[in-house]
Amino acid sequence: MQIDLYGDTLPALVTAACMASTGHDVVLRMPQGRIRQQVIANKTAYSEPGLRRLISTEHTEGRLVYGDFDGLPGPDSRAVFLALDTDEAPQAEVVVDRLAAVAARRWLVVNQSPFAVGSTEELDKRLKSGEADNQSAVVALPDFLQEGTALAGMQRPPQIILGCSDGYSELLVKEIFRPFNRDRDHFLVMTPREAEFTKLAITGMLVTRISFMNDMANLADSLGIDVENVRQGVAADPRIGPTYLYPGVGFGGPGFSTNVINLVDTLDATGVGSTLLNQVIEINERQKEYLFRKLWQHYRTDLKGRTVAIWGAAFKPDTGRIDNAPIIRMLDALWAQGAKVRVHDPEALPALLERYGHHPGLHYASHPYAAAEGADALIVLTQWRAYWSPDMDRLAAIMRQKVLLDGRNIYDPSVVREHGFTYYGVGR
Amino acid sequence: MNAFKAVPDTGSQAEQQAWADLNLQSERLKPLHIAELFNADPQRFSGFSVGHGPLLLDYSKQRLDALALEKLFALADACDLQGWTKKLFSTQAVNNTEDRAAMHWALRTPVDDVQYESCSDVLEGVQEQLDKMADMVDKIHSGQWRGMTGEAITDVVNIGVGGSDLGPLMVSRALNDFTLKRSRSLGIHFASSMDGSQMAQLLKQLRPQNTLFIVSSKSFSTVDTLYNANTALAWLERSLGKCAGVLHCHFIGVSSKPEKMSEWGIHRENQLQIWDWVGGRYSLWSCIGLPIALRIGIKGFRRLLAGAHLMDNHFRNAPWSSNIPVLMALIGVWNTNCLGINAQAILPYDGRLEKLPAYLEQLEMESNGKSVNRDGEPVQLHTCPVLWGEVGPNAQHAFYQLLHQGTEVVTCDFIAPALRYHEAMHSEDSLELVRQHELALANCLAQSRLLALGEAALEGEGELPHYKRYRGNQPSSTLLMKELSPFSLGAMLAAYEHKVFAQAVIWGINPFDQWGVEMGKKIATETLGVIRQEQEPEFPLDSSTLGLIDFINAQ
Repeated sequence: MQIDLYGDTLPALVTAACMASTGHDVVLRMPQGRIRQQVIANKTAYSEPGLRRLISTEHTEGRLVYGDFDGLPGPDSRAVFLALDTDEAPQAEVVVDRLAAVAARRWLVVNQSPFAVGSTEELDKRLKSGEADNQSAVVALPDFLQEGTALAGMQRPPQIILGCSDGYSELLVKEIFRPFNRDRDHFLVMTPREAEFTKLAITGMLVTRISFMNDMANLADSLGIDVENVRQGVAADPRIGPTYLYPGVGFGGPGFSTNVINLVDTLDATGVGSTLLNQVIEINERQKEYLFRKLWQHYRTDLKGRTVAIWGAAFKPDTGRIDNAPIIRMLDALWAQGAKVRVHDPEALPALLERYGHHPGLHYASHPYAAAEGADALIVLTQWRAYWSPDMDRLAAIMRQKVLLDGRNIYDPSVVREHGFTYYGVGR
Repeated sequence: MNAFKAVPDTGSQAEQQAWADLNLQSERLKPLHIAELFNADPQRFSGFSVGHGPLLLDYSKQRLDALALEKLFALADACDLQGWTKKLFSTQAVNNTEDRAAMHWALRTPVDDVQYESCSDVLEGVQEQLDKMADMVDKIHSGQWRGMTGEAITDVVNIGVGGSDLGPLMVSRALNDFTLKRSRSLGIHFASSMDGSQMAQLLKQLRPQNTLFIVSSKSFSTVDTLYNANTALAWLERSLGKCAGVLHCHFIGVSSKPEKMSEWGIHRENQLQIWDWVGGRYSLWSCIGLPIALRIGIKGFRRLLAGAHLMDNHFRNAPWSSNIPVLMALIGVWNTNCLGINAQAILPYDGRLEKLPAYLEQLEMESNGKSVNRDGEPVQLHTCPVLWGEVGPNAQHAFYQLLHQGTEVVTCDFIAPALRYHEAMHSEDSLELVRQHELALANCLAQSRLLALGEAALEGEGELPHYKRYRGNQPSSTLLMKELSPFSLGAMLAAYEHKVFAQAVIWGINPFDQWGVEMGKKIATETLGVIRQEQEPEFPLDSSTLGLIDFINAQ
């Protein structure tokens, strides 16, 4: 089937590549910019495992071609996907208006973008241009992509939530997704508004679990309890299960926090407002400064002239993105107190460089040990595999002060202390 | 004792002549009703109102005319107001009893103002402290001012009294609509009372981890303030432990005495300086205004200064007949000394100015509540009247009865912004609120009209019983501003400051000292010892004091 897809987000690329890999002919219409240039040059646009290779293969096979964001789908195109960013709703409207201007054509638009609840219905109205008998439709298909395992998530989805109110559109979407919907029917069909809200509720539930555990960690902290043992106990309860229970220095990422904030915005707009989710976000923001507070107290409220090494800038391992990542608040906090920062990250340094440029308080280290050199403290913010088993003797030798702050609870405190380090974890 | 005279026998020949002339004018005008003045001159408003910058002063409802005004200008000349104004705007010690200059104008003068080249070092010092304050404000607004545990500061408590409390409190309330977006969640609180009432309330609500205290005291020896500061410190130490970090993270000091701040424990980095030549009641323009800057941001604070600077230039340069502060001063002198009116009400028709009466009570009565002239002799003329006030619409339900039908003659200042609620932030409810503001304005104009004209304002009411009659003839001025903004408020407050100075010149007194408040503090220290039963009084106490102490200690 011929499909056009507008957008340059990670979900856009994943959807385009995966659909092409099942035989669809996909025109990927990315706006001008860095992502488009990287993709066309066959370079990594998102450090998503396997994505670049899949795009490259499908492009070589001719099933994935690149089109203009401002262009119209060809006469044989059966479906138009919109996979834009939260703040790109105006662009979505432009695309839909352009489609609506084509006379006597029945469009199916699939909106994957995480806009506010109700946006898909708004787009649907625009597409129908107020004509009651217009059979074109915009449906909502929220993405549940998890960075790091995005391809597998698309190819073997646990569920596909479709917000759609007419039978023809539903059949067409199901036909497009047939290759990913083999073992059983993964589709849950509801109204577009319900689909959008479901996506937000799921995200809200997950972040609530994390903030709850962080809250527990803070309590554990003041009671002299190791929250790690508590976490394992809680996770063992089958009613709760083990996922999204890890205390840490706060969640980030474009999907996570923008969606949560979006949900809060949506509720606020209706004048209802969720007190719980506001608390969740507040706890999370406080949590991002958790290790700063430990360090501040360790150095008795004076960090002027200190050098702090940070391992990990990405909001999670296996991505190069720093959107809403704890490092952002950490850097602001440390700089405001007159400290200098040396940071290492296997993939996120370009994103950091793009945001901060050559900042006098920031050294971009090419190597984890280079970052730690002469540091008064080492802070681990992202649990990249490469950080799990460092050479503690080497660290002890090159650091000025032996202070280790473990933002992901990945080390054994007693082992770290054996090497003469002062150890701070989250809730332990 | 003062022997009051209509025409003083001290002062220059010209001064005495001017007073004698004014006496004749007041004899002529006393029998006239304000309604008659309006009838005589249908264009009275245009002749008796003046505008400058954002302000309009209407004094047409005062009981004077062009001839009386001319004689008042002659009095200003005879008292050398011009010369005194030059002295004020210099480094000369116009505060003679304390041998200090009174250079509050320097706090709002741009560094490059060519009128003040000779004191550029003073102006640079002012800017240096302003910049230091700006850094602190930015650090607090960006959530980077950290408490001892590393948590961001969410609440600031200003501990100060008198000028270190009233000015910052009044202005931050008045300009609440100009709160910066990024500081919207920042709590700003004030604790002044020596008995700890406000402190006790605040400490119940606030968390030590997130609370920063500003200890504001020019001398850094004010008992009220230091007691409150000690209470705050003890409260912090109970939760956070006793260590240097508590002082470093939770206290800012503003004072002209750095060594005293250090002695108390304010960290050097956290000290903001003012100078000897900043009088307490003239200090909101200095770093004492930190709570204002925390509310409206440093840009807003600079707008406030710019408004005051505009008024400084106006006061220095405008001829008497269009000089707002000078006109306010001379009208006050006319009312006090020629018409014998000893009471003045301050009536803002805008709830945001609720603290303005208290602020002006201090500014006027602490400055000009004097009975000895600059040569140390008893004055022969009445000086500052008794001032009080309240938000106008509320006062209508309280003391306006006395204004309309009581036996006392009272002069009033009506104060109001012409525009309100047109800012974007009020967009949703703006229509209803604009209507409310219009209602307040209508009341402002109606009340001043009825007070001035009396029954002449009530056409067609017919013959009224005595208890329903309005005699009118209560004089008032109306001060309107385009809108209440940092700039217009700065201009208005500076106008009152200069009014007070100009009156002091006419009365020959020093408005910049306050010896009357010193002795009470001293004997309170002794009384404290007696109440605590720690010491015997040096001299036998009077029976009233002893009786009261007995009652207290018997409880």
